[in-house]
Amino acid sequence: MSSPHVMLQGKGCAPGDFEGEVVVSQQPFGFWQGIDPQTGMVIDKRHDLCGTSLKGKVFFFPYGRGSTGTPGIFLEAVRNGCAPAAIVNMKSEPMIVMCALLAEAFFNVRIPIVDGLDGNSRAVLRTGDRVRVNGTTGAIEVISRG
Amino acid sequence: MQLTDEERRILDGACGEPQRIALGVLVKLGDAYGADRMVEIASAHIVGSSYQIAGEAGIEIYSQLVEQGARVKVRTTSDPGSIDFARWREFKTPAAYAERQIKIAELLGRMGVIPTWTCTPYTTFNVPRFGEDLGWSESSAVVFANSVLGARTNRLAAYIDVCAALVGSVPRFGLHLAECRRGEVLFDLAPDLSENFEDHFFPVLGFFVGQRTGDRVPVITGIRRATFDQLKAFGAAAAASGSVALYHMVGITPEARTLEEAFGARPPVERIAVGRREIVFTMQQMSKGESGAVDVVGVGCPHASIDQMRRYATLLQGKRIHAGIELWICANTVVEDMARKMGYVETIEQAGAKLMVGTCHNDCPLGAWGFHRLVTDSGKFAYYTPTTVGAECIFASTEACIEAALTGRVERP
Repeated sequence: MSSPHVMLQGKGCAPGDFEGEVVVSQQPFGFWQGIDPQTGMVIDKRHDLCGTSLKGKVFFFPYGRGSTGTPGIFLEAVRNGCAPAAIVNMKSEPMIVMCALLAEAFFNVRIPIVDGLDGNSRAVLRTGDRVRVNGTTGAIEVISRG
Repeated sequence: MQLTDEERRILDGACGEPQRIALGVLVKLGDAYGADRMVEIASAHIVGSSYQIAGEAGIEIYSQLVEQGARVKVRTTSDPGSIDFARWREFKTPAAYAERQIKIAELLGRMGVIPTWTCTPYTTFNVPRFGEDLGWSESSAVVFANSVLGARTNRLAAYIDVCAALVGSVPRFGLHLAECRRGEVLFDLAPDLSENFEDHFFPVLGFFVGQRTGDRVPVITGIRRATFDQLKAFGAAAAASGSVALYHMVGITPEARTLEEAFGARPPVERIAVGRREIVFTMQQMSKGESGAVDVVGVGCPHASIDQMRRYATLLQGKRIHAGIELWICANTVVEDMARKMGYVETIEQAGAKLMVGTCHNDCPLGAWGFHRLVTDSGKFAYYTPTTVGAECIFASTEACIEAALTGRVERP
């Protein structure tokens, strides 16, 4: 059993500070056709999280598969209060960073994004852990284990 | 980022809310990706023109901007909408849905967006020049503008494109910089494939390249000649299966007159050999369905050119598509008009096929049709169909697509 208060350091990509439960995926993810913006559920049948809700969660996925239409679905989820509350990636594609910037500009919702986590860091985070994400400093703190 | 005095004034709100919000977003984006400054753009092309993409969130954003007096600062064209504005009832689009798309059209119109409703704006309305900086989204148009025309744009997201249109500039990073446009991965065609490279191999090769390239810049050698439409099909497939925003085809595209030029004198980081085996395997991957009866055949993704309309008309001349089968051809309004003048539309319609103008198979709500099996000659459509239309999809050549519409059956590759 790992001790809590593990600190991980990534790179801050979109500002904001959030503490909550993490959902971890090992697969790349695309919001366009990947999430139901009315509920926050993953609907991509090819994805390991299909049927899981991302609403209000810290969502870890390695990297994005982004269509240019991504903010359409993402902001619809933000508008409905069903988007993830923070995003952590190994490599954040511009498309997802653009989503967070737009959410703040048009819906006044901050969704911190941290990227640059390596393979070891990924192994540390487990679904159900409670973590704190700082999108400015890139710090991720594991507060308690799920 | 280095900002000009004018840009600081805009960020202080001296030029109104839309400008302040739009530039604020673009500057933050530039900061996140290490841009040194903003760069003026010649034009914008926006993808959030479709209700399927924009949704109610988009209507809310556009309504707010219009209320605040937003006007685009550079030539800005619209991607396809989610309805054929003239024929949406024929395509069983629910009236409430069409009404929301019409609302988006009205809001974009008030901001000064040219209602082109096409994914191929580079053919007529919004033609970039070599070396010009642009603020475009729509992955298939971005890859064409960068690769075939030598213009410079990152793959902007929906609404970021609107921000770029409102301020007339984008943060300078990525594909705006010469050093980021150099090739990284080499795709080398085997001599026998190179010698007999068929028309429908272009989207297949694009699909393969997209899968293997990720977000790097691919360079393809061994293509001896390529038409405008073949390059369009190749790029659209690569941009869908991967995130390819720029490719170089040695001897074909303008920044790749030689292999050395394509790679900017650096060696490739990876070399991938492509033979007939890869083409056949990819074609099978693009077909997520079994041989058998067909419900719908979709061609014109990206939007058909006048050359393609002639080809469809020639293949359909004097024939009749199979009872109960739909053949849908997507194009923009200018091509429709010209095809009508040339008599192609009459031939196509007499055969029982339908034109779908200013919209896209990928974007229309097609649930009411209950389609099970679809055939297309588009790598992009083949990539998205299983989720957008919810039907099995078979990839085939243009000729085989028309044949499937005539016989009502298709064989998977």
